[in-house]
Amino acid sequence: MAEPILRVRDLSTYFFADEGVVRAVDGASFDLYAGRTLGIVGESGCGKSVTARSILRIVERPGRIVGGEILLRRPSGQVVDLVGLPSDGQQMRQIRGGEIGLVFQEPMSSLSAFHTVGVQLIEAIRLHSGLSKKAARDRAIELLALVGIPRPAQRVDAYSFELSGGLRQRVMVALALAAEPHVLIADEPTTALDVTTQAQILELIARLQRERDLAVILITHDMGVIAEMADDVVVMYLGKEVEKGPVDAIFHAPRHPYTQSLLRSIPSVLAEPRARLATISGSIPHPLARPAGCPFHPRCPDAMPGRCDVDTPVEVTIGDNHVTACHLYPEPVA
Amino acid sequence: MTTPVLEVQGLRKHFPIKQGLLGRVAGHVRAVDDVSFSIAHGETLSLVGESGCGKTTTSRCILRAITPTSGRILFRDEKGDAIDVATLDRKGLKPLRRRMQMIFQDPFSSLNPRMTIAEIIGEPLLVQGMSDARERQARVSELLRLVQLPSAYLNRFPHAFSGGQRQRIGIARALALNPSLIVADEPVSALDVSVQAQIVNLMLDLQDQLGLTYLFVAHDLSVVKHVSHRVAVMYAGRIVETAPTTRLFTAPRHPYTEALLSAVPVPDPRRRAQRIVLQGDVADPSNPPPGCHFHPRCEYATEQCRIETPELTEIEPGHEVRCLRAAELSLRGVASQ
Repeated sequence: MAEPILRVRDLSTYFFADEGVVRAVDGASFDLYAGRTLGIVGESGCGKSVTARSILRIVERPGRIVGGEILLRRPSGQVVDLVGLPSDGQQMRQIRGGEIGLVFQEPMSSLSAFHTVGVQLIEAIRLHSGLSKKAARDRAIELLALVGIPRPAQRVDAYSFELSGGLRQRVMVALALAAEPHVLIADEPTTALDVTTQAQILELIARLQRERDLAVILITHDMGVIAEMADDVVVMYLGKEVEKGPVDAIFHAPRHPYTQSLLRSIPSVLAEPRARLATISGSIPHPLARPAGCPFHPRCPDAMPGRCDVDTPVEVTIGDNHVTACHLYPEPVA
Repeated sequence: MTTPVLEVQGLRKHFPIKQGLLGRVAGHVRAVDDVSFSIAHGETLSLVGESGCGKTTTSRCILRAITPTSGRILFRDEKGDAIDVATLDRKGLKPLRRRMQMIFQDPFSSLNPRMTIAEIIGEPLLVQGMSDARERQARVSELLRLVQLPSAYLNRFPHAFSGGQRQRIGIARALALNPSLIVADEPVSALDVSVQAQIVNLMLDLQDQLGLTYLFVAHDLSVVKHVSHRVAVMYAGRIVETAPTTRLFTAPRHPYTEALLSAVPVPDPRRRAQRIVLQGDVADPSNPPPGCHFHPRCEYATEQCRIETPELTEIEPGHEVRCLRAAELSLRGVASQ
């Protein structure tokens, strides 16, 4: 495989609140390649969104990146560590939106209600290119057509509230692609949408990826969406990566007890009617009260007292690009 | 399953669209437009559909949170007599309120933060006349046990609980008065997967234990598969298909049901679906298309579908479809494991 376009190493982002320190992301490492989709999946508080915000350097106070590297290969071939850049400096502003596009969950609140779709698109286009207003407007109409919006020449003058949820999310995708980025981060892009609209948006992202060789980071809580879209998967729990690997291994040979339990607890349209679901006992702990040792141990069916509640497991390779952090899989003796 | 607890016949709810200074009525949003179904004692009927299809408006009419425009909502009391809830006034409704309860979607906004758990669950008991504090306390403890929460939690406030625990408290409150019908509007959609499974199982267990009757309103077909005996699919204010759960999923007869099923992402990368991706958006209930509401997005639509409005027709015992071509089409469902 080619060189990764984005390399994240040991990323840690903590939130320093009055009540204590929340380790929202605690040592995330993964590679992202052109033309491939990396899925980051987990439940609330697992750190998946903070990971995305860290890459874009838009973590809000009291949050701060406390360690690690985010190595982006720029179009010139030069590799920069985004952690070392000032978050509002010129270089970071070029990268954010210019080289890394972002699609948020909530298209209603991420689009301005005071400006037409066209005005927002033209601003994004001109910010990252030298196009004239007229040329940028033509480009905006092209982009709206690209994301499958009917009658783009009229819709360019519409306000976001005049559009349906699906069309708004298409506008968000058009905005994210305005500056022709190589990396697209989609944070729960279909969570607020109905299933038939979700199918449209997922298809759109997959098509654009094929056409433009985009590297996509797809963040979601929905294992179904991951199974449909991802090539590689990172499973997170309470700020920690618990398992990562190729999508087929994660779904058909999961090794971490959390991945295994999570997969068993998903309702499925293929299940027998009224079948009871397998459950994970308890609930996700408060982020300020993260358990010692392995954060999953209080809910883990395989927890080993004296070990899992004391030592934090390290990541162990258990197969082809398949890694897990669990004491069940001992470190190979070097 | 015996006589229906609830029978809805030709229910309509039209909201006026007012315009201008004088509030002139410029049109109507036909949120619910001729909906009929029934629910038997001990049964779960799921009402599914996408946003704006009218499923929540239907449930609010049944609970009489809003007054329907027309139609009948027949609710059977303990003696077996049917009462039409649709036309009752406030006073007439009060004795029925205890018999219909609701479980809400958002466990964070549906519990009063200033009341203890004991007060929240005990309030319906107090309102309906259980004035003896000790009796109430005993009942509240029993309810907590039913929803598998320790009775030590009685004097705590909602903020101390997780989403899943709060949803258990909401269920205990709904059970307090032994209702004949529980309307659950998206009860698990705000919860994390690992917690969602616990609540789905709890609702199934309580139904078996207490013989509850659920009207389950949801958009998530996977959850619906796990809870329902029968499913009704709504589109743009109308029911387009009703069938027993297995039939609806494996042998749908309405093109919208087929498309809806194929759009659900299956958690298995080896089954990446050959999806039917519907074009366009959900029909606008203030200006629905003529004929079959679904025809502009339907790949099987003919000229006739643009003109003629199909009726909900029984094509097999217990399986009703609103499609002119139901008899001739062969549609794809999802295979069981």
